Amino acid sequence: MTDQPILEMKGVRKSFGTVVALDNVSLQLTSREIHGLLGGNGAGKTTLMNILYGLYRPEAGEIALRGEKVVIQSPKEAITHGIGMVHQHFLQVDSYSVTQNIVLGTRLRNRFRLNLDQEEQRVRELSKRFGLEVDPRSLIEELPVGIRQRVEILKALYRGVDILILDEPTTNLAPQEVDSLFRSLRVIVEEGMSVVFITHKLREVLSVCDRISVLREGRNVTTLSRDQASEEVLVKGMVGEGLDVDKSLLFSAIGLDQEALQVGQQPVLQVEGLQVVGDAGNPLIRDCSFQVREREILGIAGVAGNGQRELAESLVGVRPIAAGHVRFDGTNVAGMETRELLGMGITYIPEDRLLDGFLPAANVAQNLILGYHRQEPYSNGRFLNWNAIFREARALISEYNIITPSAGEVAANLSGGNIQRVMLARAFSQPAKLMVAHNPTRGLDIRSMEFVYSKLLERKKQGMATLFLSEDLDELLLLCDRIATMYRGQIVGILERSRFDKYEIGRMMSGVTTHE
Amino acid sequence: MNEHAVGSGYDFKSLARGLIPYVLAVVASFAAAGIFIAAMGYNVPQAYATILFTSFRTPNGFVQTWLKFVPLLLQALAFTVPLTAGKFNIGGEGQLIVGAIGAAAVGILLAGLPLPLLLPAVILAGILFGGFWAAIPAWLLYRFGINEILTTVMMNFVSFSLIDYVATEIWGDPAAGHPTTVPIGVGGELPLLVARPPLNSGILLALFAAALVYVYVNRTPGGYELVATGANPRASRVFGINVRKMFLLSLILGGALAGLSGAIEVAGVQHRLIEGLQSNFLLLGIIIGLIARGNLLAVPFVAFFIAVLEVGASALQRTMMIPVEMVSIIEALVLLFVLLSDVVRRR
Repeated sequence: MTDQPILEMKGVRKSFGTVVALDNVSLQLTSREIHGLLGGNGAGKTTLMNILYGLYRPEAGEIALRGEKVVIQSPKEAITHGIGMVHQHFLQVDSYSVTQNIVLGTRLRNRFRLNLDQEEQRVRELSKRFGLEVDPRSLIEELPVGIRQRVEILKALYRGVDILILDEPTTNLAPQEVDSLFRSLRVIVEEGMSVVFITHKLREVLSVCDRISVLREGRNVTTLSRDQASEEVLVKGMVGEGLDVDKSLLFSAIGLDQEALQVGQQPVLQVEGLQVVGDAGNPLIRDCSFQVREREILGIAGVAGNGQRELAESLVGVRPIAAGHVRFDGTNVAGMETRELLGMGITYIPEDRLLDGFLPAANVAQNLILGYHRQEPYSNGRFLNWNAIFREARALISEYNIITPSAGEVAANLSGGNIQRVMLARAFSQPAKLMVAHNPTRGLDIRSMEFVYSKLLERKKQGMATLFLSEDLDELLLLCDRIATMYRGQIVGILERSRFDKYEIGRMMSGVTTHE
Repeated sequence: MNEHAVGSGYDFKSLARGLIPYVLAVVASFAAAGIFIAAMGYNVPQAYATILFTSFRTPNGFVQTWLKFVPLLLQALAFTVPLTAGKFNIGGEGQLIVGAIGAAAVGILLAGLPLPLLLPAVILAGILFGGFWAAIPAWLLYRFGINEILTTVMMNFVSFSLIDYVATEIWGDPAAGHPTTVPIGVGGELPLLVARPPLNSGILLALFAAALVYVYVNRTPGGYELVATGANPRASRVFGINVRKMFLLSLILGGALAGLSGAIEVAGVQHRLIEGLQSNFLLLGIIIGLIARGNLLAVPFVAFFIAVLEVGASALQRTMMIPVEMVSIIEALVLLFVLLSDVVRRR
């Protein structure tokens, strides 16, 4: 590591409407370092890097590359400056091969014959050199997320970047894949490049980064080298003084107290041989069987797209069940309509909150009663009781810390985090025996995540059951009594809390079954 | 839907804020129209006065305004109610015609019945026939997912031929020079509120229907489901609302409202079925619904304003020889400016 900064961003400011996303933010990147950019949701990490990558234009501030001032106006310019970025959502052509995707948009040697042998050879070399194992000839659509991410990194390396930005790269990876990614990043910096690693996960920055910059609410908090950093310092930096770190569920090393660990006996939800098929008759859920008991949080782990969404939707009646039994509280509920299920005491936090749970043109109060609008006190069966609806809405707004001028505000004016709080308030305010919660903490800042966790535990202590689907293995390990892992529409294995093992679950997430 | 459409009364400030673009749009469109009127060599202030005040200067103008108001209000509602659920009913014209056919058929076939029996039957027939005419595209949407815009428009053309057939072949009045039926029974005529100039009681029916629709949409769980479906059908489905049923229901409801306006035209104004009785109410109704931005509380006021302009338009032609199309231009400009204010506000 040399001290000469390869990149310097100074006094960067960016706002969206009235929201200031970045305020006087600076960042220094030296060559041959993995630089962690740490912060909660909405801290401005991705915005800062999108500016560097030419996607946003800053209102103030400057960027200096190797000591020279530059203005980057598009990703194309960023790449010519040697800056590459891997976003959370990959932009890939599914029906193209790995090599075709990588060379797309670059100069080809055989432009008219499209003979990609030489390019393919180079992809192989890069893949081998950096330990990013991938078959250059396989089609993108056949590859799991972990491999597709390698393709995305190779894409940047192929273009000869020397600054590589990774936005939350570990979100959809199994723990083994995370380790392998970190090894590759180490090789990348040893070859003389620099890496910016955006994340909200402390343990990851501590295990891989050389230096760490912490952002909070669009401002620089601190920059530390790894030997200066500790979990506690970083947490304080990310969260500010508002969170009592010692009592925090998220950061305490102790875990849950005894009361929180007890599980009831009576099954609330029994699923046997559940089958769900897609429009084309393709199986989406294959022979799933599990139970959720009283006072239990059952976690569903897995890489996104392995049937979690279909499982959740079939349980709440949104998606038809092809075969199998679903018993709720002893009653067979397979094939029942959502309306009946909600009325019986099932509540749902959908994964895609904007599409599946949100009425943008309606007001906040109307959003808070969706699905429960025929129940007391909101309605007497014939007429709505707006007074009660608004009274309840105001109570929920203050309890769940929803930031809105009034309950009558058009919901589309709310920020993403506040929309999620509306979803949470709606679901948690129901005394439902079973909650199906799919990625309930996505898009929330740390304090709100903490709040969700405490609400989940509160439900549990009241004896209620929760099916908790999440792509964040850490939060499942923290809260669940058992974790079932899904792979390609099947439950590969269910582990008891006493046998929780990150790597074991990671193996199951990538489809490696072990016999118990 | 905008913010004060539902649960209104909770947010007076937003109501006031919502009115500003309307006022500006009207002023701007009159100013723009004034340029044309002046360019054509007419007296601009006099033209403005004619457009705006004809409705209020003579008893005849006043009654004419209310007579225009009734079909405009009902057509606007026939468009707005499905719009609440996110569906476009462009078939209000056909639904009005078929409603009128139903009303006329009952009025002619049961002509001997006394008023307490015949009048309700005539009105009800209009509502049912209009609802039925909308139910066809609604069912095609429900069952096969066929786009309701196409089917409702096409049903209009079918109704044009249907009214021709009924008014010439079935109950045609041979003495009339235009496709017209024989009159309905006297018991089927709507009583007059004012005898001279004649104002029939259809206005009460229309206002009552508007009030019912408002209460349904804003105060009942079913209305909430209509609004939710319009706001986000997918989320509504995920939370237990049968959105396809709401689509079906909203279109049929729209058809029934249009059918009611057909029945009022027959029972109140014409006392018979006349080809062409649909006038251009459909387009004006859509314009009203769009200017009101789907807000059911605003629809009657906008409908009244458009009725004033329409009555002013005929006076304009009669007294100043300015073509009625001038007023159509003003109406279109009001709509454009209101829509423009949305764009401006978003910036």
